Amino acid sequence: MQGSSDRGPADLTQLQATMQAIEIACSSIQNSQVANARFQAAAAIRDAAIREWGLLTSDDKKSLIRLDFAAAEKEAFMYEVKQAVLGVHGVDVQFTGINFLESLVSEFSPSTSTAMGLPREFHEQCLKSLELEYLKTFYCWAQDAAVSVTSRIIESHSAVPEVKVCTAALRLMLQILNWDFRYNTNMAKGAKPSMDVFNDGVRHDIASPKRSECILVQPGPSWRDVLISSGHIGWLLGLYGALRQKFSCEGYWLDCPVAVSARKLIVQFCSLTGTIFPSGKNLTSLSLPLIISSEMLDGCRALLSMATVTTPTVFDQLLKSVSPFGTLTLLSTLMCEVIKVLMTKNTEEETWSWMARDILLDTWTTLLIPMHSIGENARFPSEGINAAANLFALIVEAELRAASASAFNDDEDSQYLQASISAMDERLSSYALIARAAIDVAIPLLTRLFTERFARLHQGKGITDPTETLEELYSLLLITGHVLADEGEGETPSVPMAIQTHFVDIVETHKHPVVVLSSTIIRFAEQSLDQEMRMSVFSPRLMEAVIWFLARWSSTYLMVPEECREDNCNSGYDHESWLRSQHSRKALLSFFGQHNQGKPVLDVIVRISMMTLISYPGEKDLQALTCYQLLHSLVRRKNVCTHLVAFDSWRELANTFANGRTLFSLHSTHQRSLAQTLVLSASGMRNSEASNQYVRDLTSHMTAYLVEMSNKNDLKNFSQQPDIILSVSCLLERLRGAARALEPRTQKAIYEMGFSVMNSVLVLLEVYKHEFAVVYLLLKFVVDWVDGEIIYLEAQETAIVVDFCMRLLQLYSSHNIGKISVSLSSSLLSEAKTEMYKDLRALLQLIANLCSKDMVDFSSDSIETQGTSISQVVYFGLHIVTPLISLDLLKYPKLCHDYFSLLSHMLEVYPEMVAQLNNEAFAHVLGTLDFGLHHQDTEVVDMCLKVLKALASYHYKETSIGKIGLGSHASGFKDSDGKFQEGILSRFLRSLLQLLLFEDYSTDLVGIAADALFPLILCEQGVYQRLGQELADSQANPTLKSRLVNALQSLTSSNQLSPTLDRINYQRFRKNLHSFLIEVHGFLRTM
Amino acid sequence: MSDEEHHFESKGDAGASKTYPQQAGTIRKNGYIVIKARPCKVVEVSTSKTGKHGHAKCHFVGIDIFNGKKLEDIVPSSHNCDVPHVNRTDYQLIDISEDGFVSLLTENGNTKDDLRLPTDDNLLTQIKDGFAEGKDLVVSVMSAMGEEQICALKDIGPK
Repeated sequence: MQGSSDRGPADLTQLQATMQAIEIACSSIQNSQVANARFQAAAAIRDAAIREWGLLTSDDKKSLIRLDFAAAEKEAFMYEVKQAVLGVHGVDVQFTGINFLESLVSEFSPSTSTAMGLPREFHEQCLKSLELEYLKTFYCWAQDAAVSVTSRIIESHSAVPEVKVCTAALRLMLQILNWDFRYNTNMAKGAKPSMDVFNDGVRHDIASPKRSECILVQPGPSWRDVLISSGHIGWLLGLYGALRQKFSCEGYWLDCPVAVSARKLIVQFCSLTGTIFPSGKNLTSLSLPLIISSEMLDGCRALLSMATVTTPTVFDQLLKSVSPFGTLTLLSTLMCEVIKVLMTKNTEEETWSWMARDILLDTWTTLLIPMHSIGENARFPSEGINAAANLFALIVEAELRAASASAFNDDEDSQYLQASISAMDERLSSYALIARAAIDVAIPLLTRLFTERFARLHQGKGITDPTETLEELYSLLLITGHVLADEGEGETPSVPMAIQTHFVDIVETHKHPVVVLSSTIIRFAEQSLDQEMRMSVFSPRLMEAVIWFLARWSSTYLMVPEECREDNCNSGYDHESWLRSQHSRKALLSFFGQHNQGKPVLDVIVRISMMTLISYPGEKDLQALTCYQLLHSLVRRKNVCTHLVAFDSWRELANTFANGRTLFSLHSTHQRSLAQTLVLSASGMRNSEASNQYVRDLTSHMTAYLVEMSNKNDLKNFSQQPDIILSVSCLLERLRGAARALEPRTQKAIYEMGFSVMNSVLVLLEVYKHEFAVVYLLLKFVVDWVDGEIIYLEAQETAIVVDFCMRLLQLYSSHNIGKISVSLSSSLLSEAKTEMYKDLRALLQLIANLCSKDMVDFSSDSIETQGTSISQVVYFGLHIVTPLISLDLLKYPKLCHDYFSLLSHMLEVYPEMVAQLNNEAFAHVLGTLDFGLHHQDTEVVDMCLKVLKALASYHYKETSIGKIGLGSHASGFKDSDGKFQEGILSRFLRSLLQLLLFEDYSTDLVGIAADALFPLILCEQGVYQRLGQELADSQANPTLKSRLVNALQSLTSSNQLSPTLDRINYQRFRKNLHSFLIEVHGFLRTM
Repeated sequence: MSDEEHHFESKGDAGASKTYPQQAGTIRKNGYIVIKARPCKVVEVSTSKTGKHGHAKCHFVGIDIFNGKKLEDIVPSSHNCDVPHVNRTDYQLIDISEDGFVSLLTENGNTKDDLRLPTDDNLLTQIKDGFAEGKDLVVSVMSAMGEEQICALKDIGPK
C-alpha cells in the first residue's frame, strides 16, 4: 500500500515534467489502487492539460477526453473526485477538485470546448450524458463543498484558505446554472413551461429587448429539489450577509472574488424565481445602502431579474411581508436616488450611476411593457402608480436640468451624437412608459412645464438669452412626444392605452388634459410663422423638435378616420368601463377630427412645413425631418389628402415647387421626397382625371426643361457647367420622386412624364458619361419609373419601354466596358469602384423589373402581340451586364444579392436560354455560381441552389424526351487545348455533395439542396455511384463504413423514390436527404 | 422655374468661368468643390451646428482631383461655395513620346500634343502598358481650373 502511495507523487513529478507522461498518468489512474494517488494523477493531467492543451496532438486529446468518460473505472474515479471535492483530503485537494470539475464542465459545453477533431456525434453524446447524469451531482458537490467551509469563513476574522474553496465552488455553481440546458427542459414541455414548477405568478412573455443583460436560468423541473427546497438560497444570502460585515477585515473587500461570486449567484437565483427572498431584509440590505458601484449594480441586476420572471403585482408583494412598503416603491426610491446622484455629479467618471440608471429603467420597462400592450393598467398596484408619478416628476426635472446645463455645449463631436440618439430614444420610451403608468399626473405636469417656459420666453424676449429655455423646450418636446404617441413606423399608431382608458370623467372635450397639452404646443409652434418670433426664438434645433413632435402627434391624433377608432380594447374590463373609455377616446379624437379643429390644425402644419423649407436655408436636418417625417406621414392617409389638396397653403407649396426656383436650394434628395409627397397627395383628388391633371401640372415644367436642354446643339459645351449639372440633378431627383409615388390612378400621367423624357435620358447619358453622379440619377430614375409602370403597360407601350431600356443598357455598357480609372488617389479609385457597383446594381434592378412583366401584368392584351418576348429581353440584358460584373464586385453584398436573385429567377423561368449562351458567357455565369455556392449569406446559397435545380431538372427533362438539353455544356467537351472539360452537372454534383457532407451550412438549406441534388443525381447517375464508392472507401472504420453504405443506399431508394421529377418525388427526396444527413453527419463531420 | 430662366448659353469657350457659386447645403457626396483654391471631389459631407441653437454648417472632405491630396473645409450651409467646372474629353491615343508627352487625336481630326503624361510611376505604367499591348485606347482627359490630366483609359479595339 505504502509503495503505491509513494508512486503517486513520483508519477506526478514525472508527468509535470514532460507531456509524454500523460500516458503514464493515465495508466496510473487505471492501475493505481490508492485513491489519493489516482486523484493526484488526474489533477496533474488536468493541470498539464490546461497548460499544454494547445500543444497536445489531437490524438492525445482524444485519448484524454475518452478517458474522462469512458475509462473502465469511471465510477471509482468519480468517487475519488467527490471525496476530493468534499474536502476529505484537505483544503488544497478540495480546491483542485473543484477547479477540475469547472474545467470539465467548460470543456463539455459546446461553446467553450476546444476543437479536437472528433466527430460531432461524439460531442453530442458527451454533452447529453454530462447534462443528464452528472451536472446536478456536480452542483450538489459544489454546494456541499461551499457549505462545508462556510462556518470557518464566518468564524474567522481574517482571510483563510477556505475562502479560495468557497469562491471556486460558487463559481462552479454559477457556471452550471449558466449551462445551456437542452434535455430536461424538453421533458417539461407539453404540460407547462418549466418555470411554472417553481412559482405561481410568473410570466411567460419574456422577449423584450434589453440594455442590460439578463440570462434566464431554465434547468428544468428535476432541479427543483436541489435549488429550491434545500434552502440553500437562504444559506447563500446568509453567507453574503456575513461577508458584508467582514469587508472591513483584512483580506476581504467589496470586490473580493468570493463576494463577487456570491453576488453573481444571487442575481442568477433571482432570475430563477422571483420569490426567493424569504426575508426582504436581505434585498434591502443588498441594495439600499448606496455604498457605490458593484454591489449596487448587482442589487439592481437582481431587481431586473426578478422583474423579468414576475408580474408587477407579485413583484410588488415581494417585500410586503417584511416591510411597510412594496418593491415598486423601493424601485422608485432607489431610482430617484440614482437620478439625484446623476444630477449632482455630472461627470463622465461616475459610470456606475449611468449603469444603475439603465438597469433600473430596464426593470421598469420589463414591468410596464406587457401591461401597456394589453391595457391592463388598472392592475398596476396603486402604490406603484404613486411611485411612478414621483419618479417621472424627478426624471423630467433631471432631464430639464441636464438640458439647460448643456445648452451652451458646442457639439463638435457629431458622430458621437448620432450614436447617442438611438440610445436616447430608447431611454425616452422607457420614460414614457413610466409616465403612462401615472398618466393622470404626468400630462398636467408637462402642460405646466410647457406653459412656464413659454411665458419665460415671452417675458425675456430681447432681454435675456433664451438658449437655456430653448434647450429645455427641446427636451420637453421629445419627452412629451413619447408620452403622448407611439412611433408609427410601418403601421398606424393608435392612441396609447393609458390615455384611452384614463380621463373618462372629462365632460368638456376642450378641457381634456391631452387636448390642453396638444393645443398648447401647437399654438406655440404656430408662432414660428411670425418672422420676428422665428428670428428670436425658433432656432433650427428647436424647430427640429417641433417638426418631430408634430409628425408624431399628427399620425396618432389628427383626423383619425372613423373606422380606425373602433378597434376594441378587450380583456380585463367590464362592459360599462369599456363604454366609458370608448367615449373618452372618441371625444379626444373627434376634437382633432375633420369636423372640428382638424382642418385648422392641418393648415397650420402645412404652413409651418413650407416655412421650414424656405426660411431655414441650408438646415438639412430640419428639412429632412419636414420632408421625410412630417409631410410623408400626412400624405399617407387618404382622408388627410382630401383636405390637403383643397388648402390654399398646399397649392402654394405645389406651385412653388413646380414653377419657382426657391426650392432648388433644398438638398436634392429632399426635393425627391417632396416630389413624391406632392404626387401622393393626388390621391385626395376627386377622380382619376383630376389626379392625372394635377400630376401633369406638377411635372410638365420639369420635363420640358430636360427636353429643351437635350435638344440644344451646343449641349456639349455647357452641359458640364456646375450650375447646369445641379439643375439636371435636381430635376432627375424630382422625376424619380414622382415616379416612386405612382398609384393606379396617376399611372397615366407618370407614364407620359417618363415617355416624354426617354430620348433626353439617352442624350444625357451620353453627355454625362463621365459624370457618375448624373449617370446614377439617370439610371435610378429609369429603374423606379419602370418598376412602377411595367405592370400597367399595354403591349405597344411595353415594346417602347423595353426598346428604350435595351438602348440604355447598351449605351451604358459601351461607355464602361474595358474602362480603367487612373488616379493618384487610392480613395478616388475606390470611389470609382463603388460607383461602378451602384450603377450595376441599378441595371440589375432594371432587368429584374422588366422581368416582372411576365409575372404580373394588368394590361388588356398580351405583350406578345407586339412581338416582345420578355425572356429575350432579359437574356439580352444579362448578356450586356454580366461581363461588367467581376467576382471582385460581387463582394458588395447588395450587388451579390441582386445578381443572384436575377440569375436564379432567369434560370428558373427561362432555362432554355442558357443552352444558347456562348461558352464564354456560360463560363462566366458558372464561375459566379461557384462563388455564390460558397457564400456566407444563406440567401445567396439558396438562390444558387435554385439555379442548379433549374439547370439540372431542365437538362433531365429535355434529355428524357430525346432532346439535347444543355448539350455540350452538360456532357463535357474538349477545349481549345484539347483537354477534356468535365460537364457542368457532374462538376456541381461533386461540389454540392462536398458542401453537404463536409462543410458548414445552415440547416435551412437542406430542403432546397435536396431539390438541387435530386435532378443532379438523376442526370449523372454514373458520377454519383463513383462518388459514393469513393466516400465509402475512405472510411476506415468498418461499422461506420457499413452505416455509410446503407445510408447512401437508402438515400436513393427509400420512400418509393422514382426517377421522375414531380412534386411528390422532390418531397420524398427531401425526406431521404434529411435522414441521410442525420445518419452520416455525426461521424463524417469533425470538430 | 419660370420661362425666362430657360437659358443654357455656354459662357463662351475661352472665357468659361472656372468656378460657379453653389449653396453649401446642396453639395452632395461625389460632387465637386473648390477647397483652398484646388478642385476637389467631395468624398464626405457632414453637418453640425455652430453651438446647439446656432445654424448648420457643412464639413467637407475633398480629394484634389489632380494630385490626390485630402483637403477639408467647413462652411455655413446657407453660404455659397465655389464649385469647379470640371470637363472631361475623350481622345484617341496616337502616340507616347520619349519626352513624356502624349499625342492625342481630337474629334475634328487635329492632334493635341501639349499634354504631359502623369509623373507618377504607377499611372504611367498603366497607360504605357495599355499602349504597348497595341490596344486601341481612348483616354479621358479631365480639365478644371486651368489644369489637365488623363483620368481614365478605355480599350475600344474590336473584340
